[in-house]
Amino acid sequence: MRLLTHNMLSSNVKGVVNGFPLRLEASSWVEKEVEFNADFLRSMFPKIDWPALAGAAQKIGYAALPDTADATMLESEDFLKKFHHALLEIHVEEGALVCPESGRRFPINKGIPNMLLNEDEV
Amino acid sequence: MFHHVHSVAKFWRSHLQLKEIIFFKLSYPQGCPKINRHDFGDNVIPSVSYCAFTNSTNLPDMNSLECKQGSHVSSETRDHQSVRLTPDIEKKYVHSVYDAIAPHFSSTRFAKWPKVAGFINSLKPGSVILDVGCGNGKYLGLNPDCLYVGCDISPPLIDICARRGHEVIVADAVNLPYRNSFGDAAISIAVLHHLSTESRRRKAIEELVRVVRKGGLVLITVWAVEQEDKSLLMKWTPLCHKYNEEWISPSSVPTRNHSTVMLESIPEADENSHHHGNQSNKSQTQSNGEEAHQEYFVPWHLPFHRAEIGGATASAIENGLAKKDNKKGAMVYNRYYHVFAEGELARLVSGMDNAAIVGQFYDKSNWCIVLEKR
Repeated sequence: MRLLTHNMLSSNVKGVVNGFPLRLEASSWVEKEVEFNADFLRSMFPKIDWPALAGAAQKIGYAALPDTADATMLESEDFLKKFHHALLEIHVEEGALVCPESGRRFPINKGIPNMLLNEDEV
Repeated sequence: MFHHVHSVAKFWRSHLQLKEIIFFKLSYPQGCPKINRHDFGDNVIPSVSYCAFTNSTNLPDMNSLECKQGSHVSSETRDHQSVRLTPDIEKKYVHSVYDAIAPHFSSTRFAKWPKVAGFINSLKPGSVILDVGCGNGKYLGLNPDCLYVGCDISPPLIDICARRGHEVIVADAVNLPYRNSFGDAAISIAVLHHLSTESRRRKAIEELVRVVRKGGLVLITVWAVEQEDKSLLMKWTPLCHKYNEEWISPSSVPTRNHSTVMLESIPEADENSHHHGNQSNKSQTQSNGEEAHQEYFVPWHLPFHRAEIGGATASAIENGLAKKDNKKGAMVYNRYYHVFAEGELARLVSGMDNAAIVGQFYDKSNWCIVLEKR
């Protein structure tokens, strides 16, 4: 699971008011190279919740991202490379996504989050 | 020529100022339907009229959208519990069947459907596309300039996608775990017809619209009651009245134009009995013009050599999920389908004020609709 996907996943457990961002707990991850595309990153930037991305990257030991970011940074090649790496090249293989309000844990196995709810959580 | 769906949508709205498409019922010979060209390939032509079947014996009488406005399912008391609760019929005859046939099903699903490919290829580069009910992921990565996230309720199918390097999650189309308005487009290809109640089908559409941004597009395709290959219907098992009472909507009184009108002519059949479609072919002829049947079991033949994966076959037989067909040398699994009548998709969307219909067409025995989020 890429941190891009983490940036859009939200807990939909019954009663939860804001299930975003899910707290990431990663026990194993891999890095896979992805072709760099500055235009893509610039079009993605407005969609991204930066604190959630930076927070998740830190959890995985990638602390190169600034705590806050704004569109002017998209002109800097260095910034784009870091943004690219965090967003697309880190793949969480094993771990969990924890709902910020209910504490419900959604497992990540073999890179796949399982977001299905039990009958009493729907 | 318009190559870009977004500019088309703008042209569409400004040029025609039509809030909703008006359907005209034009009579055409019963043969193949005359369809207004509405390809999503290079020439996208906004279509205002849609031509329907008429006066054919075994097809419902197609009348324009307006007059069928109030005829959809009456009170959904079956859905007093949360619409997100998965009914047993879907657990047994959708989820566990796809889990059981996943590798075989996947090996037979590779052909890319031109209309869907055209839609995906017409999206702006860099678009985030959400494929809800992605199955074996055949559309994921189709347009290399876009980014895809696929989800499906079947873990075995999602495993197949992940092994192919796609970004996928296990999730329920009726309750998507995505925050609002993130995607640029969403597609739901042959998914909604596996949902067993109207409120769940409507909720699934609302979710597709919720997860795309304003101006984002949603493409939905579902199986049509009006199958081009009529013989196919013979192979399907219409769900009998008793069955519908238990599973679909026990309290709804089957009225003439009730969208899930059952065929009283079918003898009281136990749902697991050897009830081949062709035995009840009398049920296919709707002489009294009553609406065609919409609830079916559609068989999937899993060859024996593929079926022998540990105890799965034995347990499948045990819990009535599959039956042996020695003649064909295959396990026969029944999949639940609610096939859609013309105008049904548009009717489901009519109540949603944040979604406009920007395209509708019939293609390869499927009804298809494109929505734009407002």
